[in-house]
Amino acid sequence: MTSTERKIRVLVAKPGLDGHDRGARVVAYGLRDAGFEVIYTGLRQTPEQIATAAVQEDVDVIGLSVLSGAHLALTQKVIEKLRAQGAGDIPVLVGGLIPEADKPVIKAMGVAEVFTAGTSIATIASAIRSIAAKADEGALNREEKP
Amino acid sequence: MSAHDDDLDRIAQAEQKWRDDVVEPRVKRFGLERSPTHFYTPTAARGFDFLEKVGFPGRYPFTAGNSPFEFWRAHAENAAKLGFRPEGGGGGAAGRYSGYGTAEDYRDYLLRMQSLGSRGGPNVAFDLVTQCGYDSDSPFAEGEVGRVGVAIDSLRDFSVIYEAFTGDRDIDRVPSNFTINAPAAVILAMYTALADARGIPLAALRGTPQNDILKEFIARGTYIYPPRPSMRLFRDTLVFCRKHMPQLNVNSIGGYHIREAGATRVQDLAFSLANGIAYLQEGVDAGLAIDDFAPMFTFNAFGGSMEIYHEIAFQRAARRMWAHLLKERFKATNPRAMMIRQPITAHIGCTSTTLQRPINNLVRSVVGGMAGGMSGGLPAAYPPFDEPLGLGHSLEAIQLQADATRILLYEARVCDTNDPWAGSYFMESLTDETEAAAQVELDKIEAMGGAVAAIESGYMPRAVAKSAYERQKRIENQEEFVVGVNCFTSEQELEVSVNRMVEELYDPGHMRTAEERQLARLTRLRKERDRGAVARTLAALEATARDESANVMPDLIACVKSDATLQEICDVLRGVFGTAEPVKL
Repeated sequence: MTSTERKIRVLVAKPGLDGHDRGARVVAYGLRDAGFEVIYTGLRQTPEQIATAAVQEDVDVIGLSVLSGAHLALTQKVIEKLRAQGAGDIPVLVGGLIPEADKPVIKAMGVAEVFTAGTSIATIASAIRSIAAKADEGALNREEKP
Repeated sequence: MSAHDDDLDRIAQAEQKWRDDVVEPRVKRFGLERSPTHFYTPTAARGFDFLEKVGFPGRYPFTAGNSPFEFWRAHAENAAKLGFRPEGGGGGAAGRYSGYGTAEDYRDYLLRMQSLGSRGGPNVAFDLVTQCGYDSDSPFAEGEVGRVGVAIDSLRDFSVIYEAFTGDRDIDRVPSNFTINAPAAVILAMYTALADARGIPLAALRGTPQNDILKEFIARGTYIYPPRPSMRLFRDTLVFCRKHMPQLNVNSIGGYHIREAGATRVQDLAFSLANGIAYLQEGVDAGLAIDDFAPMFTFNAFGGSMEIYHEIAFQRAARRMWAHLLKERFKATNPRAMMIRQPITAHIGCTSTTLQRPINNLVRSVVGGMAGGMSGGLPAAYPPFDEPLGLGHSLEAIQLQADATRILLYEARVCDTNDPWAGSYFMESLTDETEAAAQVELDKIEAMGGAVAAIESGYMPRAVAKSAYERQKRIENQEEFVVGVNCFTSEQELEVSVNRMVEELYDPGHMRTAEERQLARLTRLRKERDRGAVARTLAALEATARDESANVMPDLIACVKSDATLQEICDVLRGVFGTAEPVKL
């Protein structure tokens, strides 16, 4: 953790029209109990809305949940919208029904981590902590450079 | 099973002695706090009245099943001799649940299936864009057109599907299933418009729209309008169906989605029945006779789990509770009005399957098949083991699933005895416990003002999400075990694999270009249609929608006939009804 005892802020988001939100809600509850500050978007958010929410809420990490098979297109769009809003440095995690073969494709888009069914909340929480810490270091390093 | 009271007292004394002399020493010997097992005696069923609690298969209260044997059991031996392969569709004679791409893609798929021997009507999966009441050119549609089902923007699209259904497969011959909820009224309007265009009387139409909007708010998520106006639309479809399409089922109520979203068994049962009550009440309030319309209600399925005894008890309790509700509360006299008409009974549900060591799912599905066969349904080993991989069911998985079901039916002969657990001290008390717990939850919802109020307040959707989280915690704390997920996960365990051949039922090339082609179709439609007529029918719809007592179905039919698009229609209703707010944490 950084010097301040600030809670890590996580945006849990459901992009697209997919209504399967069991995973998103379980992860949101779990992270909240694990000491994170969690903002859940609710269903049917456009990539634009998700990027805007991430910026407005000043989150440290974004978790996307997709189970409709549209994960490649939706993840790509969210990342594009984040970059367009100058928030391309917010780490993005993806969870849901992601076939093994698609994991490297998603990671190549710049996604920090991909989680599929059976992952424990403890695993997700520790991954978010280390990703957020790295992002913080990155930000500090950039600030130190002239 | 019933024993006289003096017998029961004698048994109770013997039981206590057995606990003291046999159970407790063992509990101590193994250093436990309590026995990890149960044993049931006649004392668990004091006052048990067989005729009242169980009765006979096909007789009130239907605990033992809706009938002594269904169609599939009557013809099981002949089916085996002939090698008959059912299409695995929903109820009635609708074919396999399917749909992708544009209407043309789906029509061609259906024609191909027919050339391979498919006989049923269409069992239509709609894409999420359609299910949420948008057109394919909406910003919400990008990337979703034709993905999880067929894209339908207008009556023209809908009619193209039915080019695969003419002659002896015309819509007065085969039924149609529509898995759609919020825009169900619009799809029904298209169905009637198609019948009119073909000169087929509406009374000849058969099929089942899902038309179960309440569970969308609790679980599945494809709602559009707030709950109350959504129920008004349900009422309008119900009244219209009873008047003009007497053979058409009205809805297909689902507890399945609620359980899959995380509900406990008790919540699944109570919430499903609460939803059912709300739909029944709409009919009663509209002046329909319960004995006339309730028999046209169907259920697609309740949820399932690996806890086989509890799931069998659940099915028995569900049938008994629904029968009681219809008879006592709604004063039905027609036995058909009191039955839960559903294509399957107990099963494990997809959430019981694991991504880890997926072939284990075959074993799990067989457990579900046993429960199904022992609770009045087909012993359907569902789903195929590769379900959680998200890559389509392989031919191997489908055959293993079908064969598992056949082995249970023909070799294990699971379905030769109705309600084989009837009279078991254990099962009868478990059924009573399930019913009592669900009744408490149902009473709670009724006290809140019923299903609609319990959705508006967020109670039901939140309760489901909390239960999902509680289960996750139990799994993470190893209070519940899932093999290969939270136990027996060492590297010594083998990852058993089989070959997986996935049949390309849906042309991947069509999938890739569906959105583009659908947009072209929609653009053409917007150019070709009579704009004035569209504006007129939409304006008339708006006026009717504003009058709560009026039925929107005739206006919806006029709208679709004028080539108004699905979203244009839904937008008019959004304007009048407003839109539902997504439930927060």
